[in-house]
Amino acid sequence: MKVSMKWLKQYADIPVTPAEYESRMVMTGTGVEGTAPLAPELEGVVVGRVLTCRDHENSDHLHVCTVDVGEGEPLQIVCGAPNVREGILVPVAKIGARLPGGVTIKKGKLRGVESQGMLCSGPEIGVPVELYPSVGTAGLLIFKEDYPLGADVKPIFGLDDTVVDFEILANRPDCLSVWGVARETAVAMGTELMMPRISVKEAGGDIRDYAQVEVRESELCPRYAARVVKNVRIGDSPAWLRQYLFAAGMRSINNIVDITNFVMLETGHPMHAFDLDKVRGRHIIVRKAEQGEKLTTLDGKEYALNSTDLMICDQEGPTGLAGIMGGEESEITENTREVLFECASFDRASIRITARALGIRTESSGRFERGVSPATVMDALNRACQMVNELDAGDVVSGVIDLYPKPLAPVTLTVSCARMARRAGVDIAPEEMEEILRKLLFQVKRNGDEMIVTAPAFRQDIEQEADICEEVLRYAGYDRIPVTHLRGETPMGGLNDTGRREAAIRGQLTGMGFYETMTFSFISAKSIQQLGLPADDPRNHPITIRNPLGEDTACMRTTLLPGALKTVAANIKNGNDSGRIYELGTIYDGQAKTAEGLPVETHELVMAMWGQADFYAIRGAVEALCRQAGIAYHIAACDEPYLHPGRRAALTAKDGQVLAVLGEMHPDTAERLDLTGRVYVAKVCLPLFFEMTQPMGEVKPIARFPAVNRDLALVMPESQQVGPLMDAIRFGCGPMLEDIRMFDVFRGIQIGPGNKSVAFSLTLRAADHTLTEEEISRLTEKALKISKDQFGAVLRA
Amino acid sequence: MDIRENLAQIGEELRKELACTDALQALEALRVKVLGKKGSLTALLRGMSQLSPEERPKAGQIINEAREKLTALLDDKQKELALKAKEARLQAEAIDVTEPRDVPAIGAEHPMNLVLSEVLDCFTSMGFSVVEGPEIELDLYNFELLNVPKNHPARDAQDTFYIDDNVVLRSQTSPVQARTMLSHKPPIRIVCPGRVFRADEVDATHSPVFHQIEGLVIDRDVTMADLKGTLDAFAKRLYGQDIEVRFRPSFFPFTEPSAEVDLTCFNCHGKGCRVCKGTGWIEVLGCGMVNPKVLEMCGIDSSVYSGFAFGIGVERITMLRYGIRDMRLLYEGDMRFLKQFRR
Repeated sequence: MKVSMKWLKQYADIPVTPAEYESRMVMTGTGVEGTAPLAPELEGVVVGRVLTCRDHENSDHLHVCTVDVGEGEPLQIVCGAPNVREGILVPVAKIGARLPGGVTIKKGKLRGVESQGMLCSGPEIGVPVELYPSVGTAGLLIFKEDYPLGADVKPIFGLDDTVVDFEILANRPDCLSVWGVARETAVAMGTELMMPRISVKEAGGDIRDYAQVEVRESELCPRYAARVVKNVRIGDSPAWLRQYLFAAGMRSINNIVDITNFVMLETGHPMHAFDLDKVRGRHIIVRKAEQGEKLTTLDGKEYALNSTDLMICDQEGPTGLAGIMGGEESEITENTREVLFECASFDRASIRITARALGIRTESSGRFERGVSPATVMDALNRACQMVNELDAGDVVSGVIDLYPKPLAPVTLTVSCARMARRAGVDIAPEEMEEILRKLLFQVKRNGDEMIVTAPAFRQDIEQEADICEEVLRYAGYDRIPVTHLRGETPMGGLNDTGRREAAIRGQLTGMGFYETMTFSFISAKSIQQLGLPADDPRNHPITIRNPLGEDTACMRTTLLPGALKTVAANIKNGNDSGRIYELGTIYDGQAKTAEGLPVETHELVMAMWGQADFYAIRGAVEALCRQAGIAYHIAACDEPYLHPGRRAALTAKDGQVLAVLGEMHPDTAERLDLTGRVYVAKVCLPLFFEMTQPMGEVKPIARFPAVNRDLALVMPESQQVGPLMDAIRFGCGPMLEDIRMFDVFRGIQIGPGNKSVAFSLTLRAADHTLTEEEISRLTEKALKISKDQFGAVLRA
Repeated sequence: MDIRENLAQIGEELRKELACTDALQALEALRVKVLGKKGSLTALLRGMSQLSPEERPKAGQIINEAREKLTALLDDKQKELALKAKEARLQAEAIDVTEPRDVPAIGAEHPMNLVLSEVLDCFTSMGFSVVEGPEIELDLYNFELLNVPKNHPARDAQDTFYIDDNVVLRSQTSPVQARTMLSHKPPIRIVCPGRVFRADEVDATHSPVFHQIEGLVIDRDVTMADLKGTLDAFAKRLYGQDIEVRFRPSFFPFTEPSAEVDLTCFNCHGKGCRVCKGTGWIEVLGCGMVNPKVLEMCGIDSSVYSGFAFGIGVERITMLRYGIRDMRLLYEGDMRFLKQFRR
């Protein structure tokens, strides 16, 4: 909210620099985005009089003028404006002057004639027509009044002001007003609050003879007040009013409309002015719209209304969107004779819903959404009438319409000073608390530790002792809060089990050269379909967001794969030839629900490698994680459709549950996902992984008897897998086979086509004796027999 | 010839030959030539049989002394040659230690997890437990129990993603606090890290998905000064002993009184720089005393217990910590970015 410093200073003095003011306000709870001069770029433009004006010899439109700027010789200035003539008083940008838009005036020659400056139009010095009316935008701004020659033009337009940009907290809608911030300013500065005395000079008559108001929705409109102005004299507002509005970022329209905006900015109460002749039946009805009813608003847009929208209607139909924008029909025009001023209080939620549904946001709706106190409506309405008196914009009809069936009772709380001091952790004396609250316009009755506190009518945020505590603390100073440490029983802190286990996995993956990534929890429906999963796979049916940002982020991920693969594709595209990444994050089941009816959320680990990578590298990484977790697993081919049919595997637990699937991306899927080159991925089901994780037990004693190694090279058909062969040998040979390792695979004509020669190293050992030759040969024979009988593998010749 | 002369001659010859021997093998041959079965000294010993019994002991003694001397000569030479040979080997084996070779590739955790684990270490060491909760959450926990009723404007401030009327993507980690208060009796001392969602378009400083870590303490007589003390300890542990904490009044529906917390800029240590926009302070988190209404709604007697809560934006402190200017980098997973991180 932008506020003119001049305006603010009318109500509270600010005897410090803007920076100091900013800091004091921020430290007492009134946010300030910044303070800035209203016209920071306008410098060196003064009042000057055109003494002579002749045509330029080499131009059909330029003039050569001499201009008196109140000092030294008159300046010779070449001017192209059509309205330049002798005798006029105009803004003159002297050499070195700065104009909005970063323009600096330099000495120059125009068609051979020297020019020592520039005569300016309104827009050239940042003065719109509504700030200085009855000046055409074409041509020079010609002053209507007399000003001393050489005087800076800024004060003439009120541009010598400073604008404070306040950032008001959500609980303080009362501060969305000059009065509101002035109240805080006075306390923060320790200066006097100088509020205006509101009085209205009534011109007789009776409002009841002019208008009637009926509120049919008193829940949505707890208070509706109105006054009528007759003999309206529409005209321009005085300069000071136009300047205040300009500083606040609003345009001056005419005196009546400006009064409503002025009062809104000053008091925080949005107001509306109706042309009473255009209110059919002179009868205002506050009701909900009928479905499909139409209204054309002030800005000329037509809206079809919903039956929940609160409307200001006359006898025939809508004439304004309550609290949001007036209707075009009853707009104030230069022909307006009689005006009805509305000042009301509307339900926050109702205004918010209608404004959002219709896509309109105005200064008015914004304030009503944040909350406008019904208790202070009459002050604002009377302030508007007082302005009518002051501006002589019409005659205020006697009497008021005020529909306020359930007046809000003032909030009175009984609070304990000691308890508040304890909550704050600051030693604040009851006397000091009392003083602060009084300055904030609370009524206080204190009896020792106990205070009975009544909040001022404009404060709607005061509900409980904690709120009073905050009021006291922010003016006692947050800087007074000391640093103390938690007392009492210290609970045992720490990570939860899952957190600890995941930290271990992260550490292991780091050691294996993987970098962690994080991607959004959102995926597109398309990205999951691209994996080509069977139609009934639950991953194909993600949870959808009702109001997503876009199609790409419309679903909650059912697997981390799409995100990880997108990351890989982007890396490859960016020329990162090789890499290892992983993501450990939440996935959301599209179907399974918790007892509370929420989607089941689990954690998944996805790893990916490309460049310097192969199938066995990614499998090895997953195996390493399993071994570190003490998980016994079995490797077999799998049928995950997005993986290469000849290079995909699953790691399964004893009971067949799938711990992980991994492999090379299927070339078709890779193509769909813009993955060039071979990419390897693995997906680990973490809940199962943690369920299978075995805590480390007792250590085994180091073997006391020697081991014997025997190497076997077996020739076997390519179709036979090595894993099952090794499993069978392990099973067949029993515990005396301490280890079996594969150390070489050979293919070549020597062993015939369609065959491979696989070399194994067997480590044999008994725990309680040195193996005999007989035992050794029995074990090797056994291994060979199993290989031959079950796998057609024979000892290589 | 006299034995002594013979011995002198043998010694003389050996010395000469040793002087021009530079191989261990040649040395061995020399040893055999003198001391071997057919060696010159051995021949002298054999020749003793021709001496008279009176002369023999004397001659034997002389020869043995000479033998010891010669052996010592040979041994010294052997040591010398062995040393030379070893030196030669070591020299021959020298490699270029500056030649580059493969270095075991070690990865890194995500920068936000690096920062988060520092934060969690800090709070767990102060007795906080880490608690997590669902990311898809009931409106009840995300808003209502936190003093943000339906159609409250505070809901606009954090544009929320909805699954249906009652289920949202949590817009803050605070629902975990509400759940904990409902299920646990005080004292409570928890931190809740996690992923949260708000309907913001992606740009350099906004993301519809981001992370928070919230803390909650509920006990008897917990004060705002305890809150300041806890955050002061956190700030000093993470950013250094010279870091100060500054509280500024603020508003959150969940807390009363509320504060924004600034820390001494850890880039310039309060002097004013680009990072802190010249103020010397950096806004890092929001906090306050838990609103008694929230305590009551969550089944905790606010006349007996009080508490505080704070919330930290993980993206923000990560970006500050590593000087990251664009939030999108955190979610793009570009190896050129990720490879810069280490624990």
